[in-house]
Amino acid sequence: MLREGLTKAVQEIIPVEFGLPNGQRVSLSVKDAVIYPPAVPPSSNCVNLKVYPAESRERGTTYRGKLNVQLLWTVDGVKFGPEERAIGVVPIMVKSAACNLAGLSPLELIKHGEEAEEMGGYFIVNGIERIIRMLVMPRRNYPLALARPSWKNRGALYTEFGVSLRSVNHDQTSSTIVLHYLNNGTCTLSFTYNKEQFFVPIILILKALLDTTDEFIYRELTRGRETHTYYKGCITNMLRQTHEEQLTRQSLILRYIGSRFRIKLGRPSWYSDTHVANFLLKHCVCVHLSEAVDKFNLLVHMTQKLFTFVAGECTTENPDNPMFQEALLSGHLYQMVLKEKVESWLFTLRTRIELNAKNKGPEFILDEAGISSACRHSMDVTKSMEYFLATGNLVSRTGLGLMQVAGLTVVADKLNFFRYVSHFRCIHRGAFFAQMRTTAVRKLLPEAWGFLCPVHTPDGAPCGLMNHLSASCQIVNVTYETSHMTRLLCVMGMVEYNAPPHHDPQGSYPVCLDGRLIGWLHSTIAKDVAERLRILKVKGLERVSMMLEICFVGRTQFGSQYPGLYLFLAPARLMRPVRNLATSSVEMIGTFEQCYLNICVTPSEAHQGETTHEELSEFSMLSTIASLTPFSDFNQSPRNMYQCQMGKQTMGTPLHALGHRSDNKLYKLQTPQSPLVRPAVYDFYHMDEYPLGTNAVVAVISYTGYDMEDAMILNKSSFERGFAYGTIYKSEFINLKDKSQEKYRISLKFGCPPDNKRTLGRLDPDGLPPVGTYLTTGDPYYSYVNIQTGEVRVENYKGAEPAYVEMVKILGADNGAEQLQKVCILLRIERNPVIGDKFSSRHGQKGICSQKWPVEDMPFTESGMQPDIIFNPHGFPSRMTIGMMIESMAGKSSAMHGLCHDATPFTFSEDQPAIDYFGNLLTAAGYNYYGTERMYSGVDGRELEADIFVGVVYYQRLRHMVSDKFQVRATGPIDSLTHQPVKGRKRAGGVRFGEMERDALIAHGTAFLLQDRLLNCSDKCLGHVCSNCGSILSPLMGKPVMSNAASSFEATRAWMCSVCQLENTVEAISIPYVFRYLVAELAAMNIKVTLDVK
Amino acid sequence: MDTPKDKDQPPAKPQVMLYICGECHHENEIKARDPIRCRECGYRIMYKKRTKRMVVFDGR
Repeated sequence: MLREGLTKAVQEIIPVEFGLPNGQRVSLSVKDAVIYPPAVPPSSNCVNLKVYPAESRERGTTYRGKLNVQLLWTVDGVKFGPEERAIGVVPIMVKSAACNLAGLSPLELIKHGEEAEEMGGYFIVNGIERIIRMLVMPRRNYPLALARPSWKNRGALYTEFGVSLRSVNHDQTSSTIVLHYLNNGTCTLSFTYNKEQFFVPIILILKALLDTTDEFIYRELTRGRETHTYYKGCITNMLRQTHEEQLTRQSLILRYIGSRFRIKLGRPSWYSDTHVANFLLKHCVCVHLSEAVDKFNLLVHMTQKLFTFVAGECTTENPDNPMFQEALLSGHLYQMVLKEKVESWLFTLRTRIELNAKNKGPEFILDEAGISSACRHSMDVTKSMEYFLATGNLVSRTGLGLMQVAGLTVVADKLNFFRYVSHFRCIHRGAFFAQMRTTAVRKLLPEAWGFLCPVHTPDGAPCGLMNHLSASCQIVNVTYETSHMTRLLCVMGMVEYNAPPHHDPQGSYPVCLDGRLIGWLHSTIAKDVAERLRILKVKGLERVSMMLEICFVGRTQFGSQYPGLYLFLAPARLMRPVRNLATSSVEMIGTFEQCYLNICVTPSEAHQGETTHEELSEFSMLSTIASLTPFSDFNQSPRNMYQCQMGKQTMGTPLHALGHRSDNKLYKLQTPQSPLVRPAVYDFYHMDEYPLGTNAVVAVISYTGYDMEDAMILNKSSFERGFAYGTIYKSEFINLKDKSQEKYRISLKFGCPPDNKRTLGRLDPDGLPPVGTYLTTGDPYYSYVNIQTGEVRVENYKGAEPAYVEMVKILGADNGAEQLQKVCILLRIERNPVIGDKFSSRHGQKGICSQKWPVEDMPFTESGMQPDIIFNPHGFPSRMTIGMMIESMAGKSSAMHGLCHDATPFTFSEDQPAIDYFGNLLTAAGYNYYGTERMYSGVDGRELEADIFVGVVYYQRLRHMVSDKFQVRATGPIDSLTHQPVKGRKRAGGVRFGEMERDALIAHGTAFLLQDRLLNCSDKCLGHVCSNCGSILSPLMGKPVMSNAASSFEATRAWMCSVCQLENTVEAISIPYVFRYLVAELAAMNIKVTLDVK
Repeated sequence: MDTPKDKDQPPAKPQVMLYICGECHHENEIKARDPIRCRECGYRIMYKKRTKRMVVFDGR
């Protein structure tokens, strides 16, 4: 795929053509490009030159390979090349065809420091894994009828009506054209070139595309709409307008267009106007089609659709509807960016050659040596590609048809498996929509059913904009062959598009395959052909791809969508499997197609003769994460949303290859367990490889008084036995090159002298801590020596928490010849549960541990069981997380019977209630049917009057921990301007005592407390005020007596008001420092502040 | 601050440390200013060996 796409992309690059002062005409183009797998230079003397991703992660480098292009150039029409040129090293997607991991078995992957089931799909930039996030794009090559009020502002006569087409070239670069309807019944086509927008009357474009008669154009445009007099009038009017301009023939029009676009398109001077116009038609109008006649047909189709739309015979199509959307895949974006970088490399090559020519004067003649020297001096693509992936910022000439230039890549955070996997299933609507006031884009439309998960979207700002694909949804990423489709359809009864109109076009449907009109289907057979084609697709006959999207839009009594048979086979579409009832086999359906199919969820819902498809499972609309919530069908729906969020913040098993990674921060649960109650998909996804929680005995009881308001009690003995123990792994890179003052020379080395008392026994002679060292704040961490001066510097451990040195890695350079400058130290920080840590069940029921209750005071059941966790019963009534209660019962019964229960949603029903099923199992185990038990107070042993609901629930430990959050200070750093305490936990700042807090203290009448908080503990300072003039600025300290100027204390010097020239009027007062600042600022604006001091 | 690079010191106490190669697990002796490369396989990442001396043990 990489090979294919890369070749296509570079071949699509428009040749760079320019003239030299000596009259030579040069054209530069690229024939092909290759990306080589990452490797170190052969000079590095390695057994294995290949670089694997694990090394890039460990060393904090970019996983990248060499990019070579085959350069072609012509001088005065004489062809040279192809010559292979290295133009830089580019980041490589892990597990792509160019990656060294491609095709390795799990065993080999482990050998190379990866997970056994490494998925790939991300880039490693400076040791950090980043993915290009999926974005929603308008469906390619489908003309969309839109009504945008903003289009009225495009000029006089412009209306809100238009037909927009995002046409995508086979190298995945796109350009959007809009056909506007104007109030005088004419149409203009708008297109963009280099971010600039142009408008051209549609008839001009149509006539420029084909050398044909006006009659032909008229007939084509009015085909099937012969009865519409207004429409026919509009068409004749538009044709007449071109005649008034004397633009009759194609050649005239091409010259006309060319002369007007010559400057804007930046074509070389020797291009004729016709040449320029053809360039415009090729690169700006319907770029997905190469043949002029196809472009003509599509524009005619669009015009007809526009007039139908304006007449109200077809409705507007909603661009927020998944029906008209596709995804921007990371490979496609990468390809587009890379293409543009190669393009700009050609431009620098051109500037270089021109510069050389200018320096040498007219005798400069471009030859092979000239090209070589220019290549050597032209900029390479390494930096800009790495910048794009490292920051997600797009620096682009054309904008690539995207609505945003930032935030295109995100870090693939390996917090736990949930979070990691959801990065790859996440699809964003675009940063532009986040600022939109309206909520229409965020709406969950019924068309999204089965493609986007209704549960798995964050609440808050990105709600509905950041969606996740359902578990079974796939995105087409293969380009399929379509050339045989026309023939096949003709055999099935289609009439070719430009065949003589012997048929009745009013009763025919246009057939459009990937934005190319291929024929007409008569209404009598159209539906039948679509159905037969579907059978071929499902059975894989006649080379019809299973990824074909067959959308038959029939005519309806009232205008709905524009009728036709639309076929899509292009990549980037969302597809999902359903069961085709006609063949009872699995069929992949697309978002557009789905709206015209009748799909039942269960066989009982099927209507005979009506229903054609059936869902594969009842929960197929859920995403991977959402389908892992047990009994989610019993919960109130927002709770399932919360669980999707909290699941992604859970401490668990992030990865297995801990020794081969250098992630900034990793959270690990020491003793994770496999849940007793789990949906069937849990095993399907092999979640046991990356578990993220522990089974806990939970009693729902209000017992301690500490468990109110979503707090929960942890059994102290459970904690002591290791319940929910966790660890944080932090790795820190230390690069001496960054610390050194010198840029081009190595001036520092790691090491510490053996006689240094501070480091003696704490650091090894290499200046690094021994593996296993226990570090507390202020301990020597590492030390380095200045080679020239011999000065030793010992750096201290700055972290607030004690840590153990888990690993020390010393890192070399690619060529293996550099001395030690960079090390990576992996620290392990213990994070066992403390009061204030956050826990949650899998049902959106989070809580803070408020107390570790001694086991002897815990309530106990008749069998002597004591709960690990006490959950407050008030958590249930308002949240209605019945799923948690069922999980509790199911967990208890599975613990008793020694089995795991299936918690797949929608398995239980009214006829077979879950309560009954698990109740019976509990009864069989000798428990109460409802899961309640008699309990005794742990404090005094009395029997509790109420029966207590006790069961086993899988609990997650969330990564939010007090140790990362607590903030307290008495005194500390202050802001230099205001003298008030600074803010921020990191800077040892204070917590803001704001206006509302102030109001509360005023209301309480606690004046002293108020003064303490707002003055004494803040910016109190001693000031002087002149009681005569009331100014705090005018009192100045008196001059010291000259005889003992140096020894005179400030305190002994008198203050005098410089305005009143009085000494006895100056009084000392305590004022807030900001007030002083305010007065000074006001004075600067000529405003005097007088204090009324008595 | 006296320089550790005094003429008599390095031979008296060669500051050699043992590191384990990340690829072939060969033990490498690397001095302060040696290039970071495994002698056996030429790999570029080394791990420091776990210290043999007692690091945290307070309950004597």
